[in-house]
Amino acid sequence: MQIVEFKDVSRIYKSGDHELKALDGVNFSLDEGKFVVILGPSGAGKSTLLNLLGGLDSPTSGKIIVEGKDISTLSNDELAEYRAAAVGFVFQFYNLVPTLTVRENVALVREIAKDSLSPEEMLAEVGLSDHLNNFPSELSGGEQQRVSIARALAKNPKILLCDEPTGALDSETGVLILKLLMSMAKGYGKTIVIVTHNQNIAKMADVVIRVKNGKIRSFDEQQSPMSADEVEW
Amino acid sequence: MLFRKLWRTMGLYKAQFISMVIMIALGIGIFVGFNMEWVSIDKNTNGFLEQTGFADYRIISENGFSKEDVESIASLTGIDKAARYLSVQADVKERDGDTISFTVTENADVSGFALMGGEPYDANSSDGIWLSDKYASANGISLGDALTFRYKNIEFKGNVKGLIKSGEHMVCVRDETQLMPDYKTHGFAYISPAMYKETAGFEYYPQINVLSKLEKKKFTDKVDKALDTTLMILTKDETVSYAGPQGEIDEGKTMGSILPVLFLLIAVLTMVTTMHRVAAKEKTQIGTLKALGFKDKRILRHYTSYAFMIGIMGTASGIALGYLVAWLVLNPNGMMATYIDIPDWKLYLPWFCVVILVLILALITLIGFLSVRQMLKGNAADALRPYIPKKMKRLLLEKTVIWKKLSFGAKWNLRDSMRHKSRTLMSLIGVVGCALIVVAALGMGDTMDSFLDMYYGDALHYNSRINLSEQVTTEKTNELIEKYEGDYSASVAVQVGEKAVSLDVYHTPGDFVRFPDENNNFIEIEDDGVYLCMRLAKEFDLSEGDTFRVSPYGSDKTYTLKVAGVIRSVSENMVISPEYADSIDLPYTINSIYTKTAKTDISSDDAVASVQSKQAIIDSFDSMMELMNLMILIFIIAAIVLGVVVLYNLGVMSYTERYREMATLKVVGFKDRKIGALLIGQNLWISLIGVIIGIPLGAAVLDYLMNALASEYEMKTVIDVSTYIVNILLTVGMSVLVSLLVARKNRKIDMVEALKGVE
Repeated sequence: MQIVEFKDVSRIYKSGDHELKALDGVNFSLDEGKFVVILGPSGAGKSTLLNLLGGLDSPTSGKIIVEGKDISTLSNDELAEYRAAAVGFVFQFYNLVPTLTVRENVALVREIAKDSLSPEEMLAEVGLSDHLNNFPSELSGGEQQRVSIARALAKNPKILLCDEPTGALDSETGVLILKLLMSMAKGYGKTIVIVTHNQNIAKMADVVIRVKNGKIRSFDEQQSPMSADEVEW
Repeated sequence: MLFRKLWRTMGLYKAQFISMVIMIALGIGIFVGFNMEWVSIDKNTNGFLEQTGFADYRIISENGFSKEDVESIASLTGIDKAARYLSVQADVKERDGDTISFTVTENADVSGFALMGGEPYDANSSDGIWLSDKYASANGISLGDALTFRYKNIEFKGNVKGLIKSGEHMVCVRDETQLMPDYKTHGFAYISPAMYKETAGFEYYPQINVLSKLEKKKFTDKVDKALDTTLMILTKDETVSYAGPQGEIDEGKTMGSILPVLFLLIAVLTMVTTMHRVAAKEKTQIGTLKALGFKDKRILRHYTSYAFMIGIMGTASGIALGYLVAWLVLNPNGMMATYIDIPDWKLYLPWFCVVILVLILALITLIGFLSVRQMLKGNAADALRPYIPKKMKRLLLEKTVIWKKLSFGAKWNLRDSMRHKSRTLMSLIGVVGCALIVVAALGMGDTMDSFLDMYYGDALHYNSRINLSEQVTTEKTNELIEKYEGDYSASVAVQVGEKAVSLDVYHTPGDFVRFPDENNNFIEIEDDGVYLCMRLAKEFDLSEGDTFRVSPYGSDKTYTLKVAGVIRSVSENMVISPEYADSIDLPYTINSIYTKTAKTDISSDDAVASVQSKQAIIDSFDSMMELMNLMILIFIIAAIVLGVVVLYNLGVMSYTERYREMATLKVVGFKDRKIGALLIGQNLWISLIGVIIGIPLGAAVLDYLMNALASEYEMKTVIDVSTYIVNILLTVGMSVLVSLLVARKNRKIDMVEALKGVE
């Protein structure tokens, strides 16, 4: 079942007379429950693509349809509602609230998402039951990223968006995080979109989208993706 | 190149820069303004008093002084100048109802005047009148006009030759019951001793005015010896023209002390926090400069000059603001200029203000220096690393059950407050300061109002006060008392210790005049003793049951009085009943009658010197209050500006510091309004706590101020409920308004940008 559709989406940044086409007439669609990797060099437009899908930004033209709803023309508040209900984010730098404990960082989403999951359960899933009352600064990078994953999943969104989730981690920890992401996604039936420039991650994907100069260069569906353990890191 | 960077840095931290300049300007402006006020009154009036030969001492004898008397006084060592002097209330024949302080001095160097227009004074002129310029302009009298003054049935007829101002009549009131000059109905005029002698046919001078630097005790001894009798001697302090401005100076000193210092303190404290934050945010830049090879000294100088620049701009605009504040009070068309009649008002910047300004400037520069030095610590690599706020620690509160019940927002805000303690504390101090000043300032108004209500509403029940002329007979007085069904009083000038005090005999069967005690309850004047006003009771340390001695001027008898109670009074006096006066054989002459009859229904009579309506007295007190109200208004406006600037500055700071957190919340799906509500929630709590702390502190400051003003007023400190309400609404409203302004910014949070980079 199709969950995401980009129809002729462009995002142009204007500064004075200068125009930067971050995305230029992008078309593609994704099915539910897939593990999607977006690859491309820096400045190719892959982050823009993710931001548009996550409702952090709106396209200059074109339509983005998520679960049958066009999100390209939503107002600020409607976008916030969309972010609260439909998507979960995992960032390179975790973006936890430093003044909230691990539990509170996850419980945060209860303020806004209607059918959120229990923070304790989610943290148990990512293996952080022992650190519920720690502050983010008391955790390692990998642990912080797990909190971030727990927070993203606690909202119980259909789609999980990850921007270089292993970018700030050493490769060993990175693999663990990727494994966690994959198993969580499979277990909860989430669609996962990961933006990265790490070719290896692409080997695990159901779908690999390569982006360059604001255009989609290739859209490959891999019939038998490797598991994380099979990939040489 | 670095200099160009300095300007850019200012532009970058525009909000901080402007708010620091405003705060320093405000602190200095209020401080300088209020201190400039009293120093300027002091210098202006003293300069004028000296210029016109204002007498240091007045020797008084109802029998008058001879030429020989004044010569023997003048020849005493330690006495610079002496002159026979007369100043009495005379009617102006051409202007019905007007009175003039009719003045003659034998030596124009003593108790003289300054010429504002017309011919110079001529001691031999036979028809010259030198008239108060304010009285002249209020009544359309010009040079050359003929005027006739009537005193003791003698008419002094002459032409206005000069328009003048005089130190002796600097506060030109008819008598002590008139608080504010009214030049429409009362002025003053000088004629020459030659004309006085010629017209009157005698030389009656009941006063010798003396310029002398001697102390009162020495002076009194010398004079008593020279004239071989004990006479009433009044010092400067016992004249309205000197004591009135002196009271304003004391009041100004009080107003210029605690509250303005508070402003300064808050400004400096906020400066500390803000400079620290600016330096912290500049840390990577500081590190870059260091890595590029700039020496620490150079970098320090660069950022210190930033602080110095703020200091210079703040101080300069503060001085300008100070002049404005002082000018508001002292401008030639203002109340002070109506009260005190001097040729011109100059504003003086007091030396201690200059010292404080220099110190503040140095302090601000030092604050900048220290903030940057902190960021420069270690090697270039350390300096390059961005400033990291303290790690989170668990709060004590988290161990309690309450914590679990708190909402997410409350937890977030509480932790944030604890993480950024200095910022929170400064916001709190800003709000406390604002609430404190508003309570103290409004409370001062409340106290005055309640006193006036009590005094003029409940204590004084007459409609008119009839002042009897000096020559009235006892029969005539009794006839008038009966005719107008009035209460009456007599004033006896007595000496208590070294001080001249008015001992008032009141007969009040009609309760037209009542006397409030310290708790504002009205008491009966019993026949067994004297009732002292609070100031005298305090000054002479007397309480109920004590006895003390007084001696009336012009008499060598002394009387022992027993204290029966203490009363609140507008003027400094003591009160007895006629029965008590009789029981100790104290002679007195009734000089005032209080009646329900309206002023317009009191027929003119030779025995009646003047009639005052109660309303006129209230009006003159009200105009006196206008000055106080102006000061209160300045304080409140300044408090609000201060609060807004402090809170806005800290709000912006908080916003920048929590930018990433807010961006994260936004990404997670929080709406702008909800994030705004969180921010406002924090400020609201800080404001509420601030108000709760500020109100009792304000009440304490008010108490302190009223105590400091106790030599001026005998008022019971009162704070109306409305003051509390206004204060809460004002302070909390201000805080909410500022938070709304800051919260509006969160719409502009760039989620994408904020999520890049390291925390």
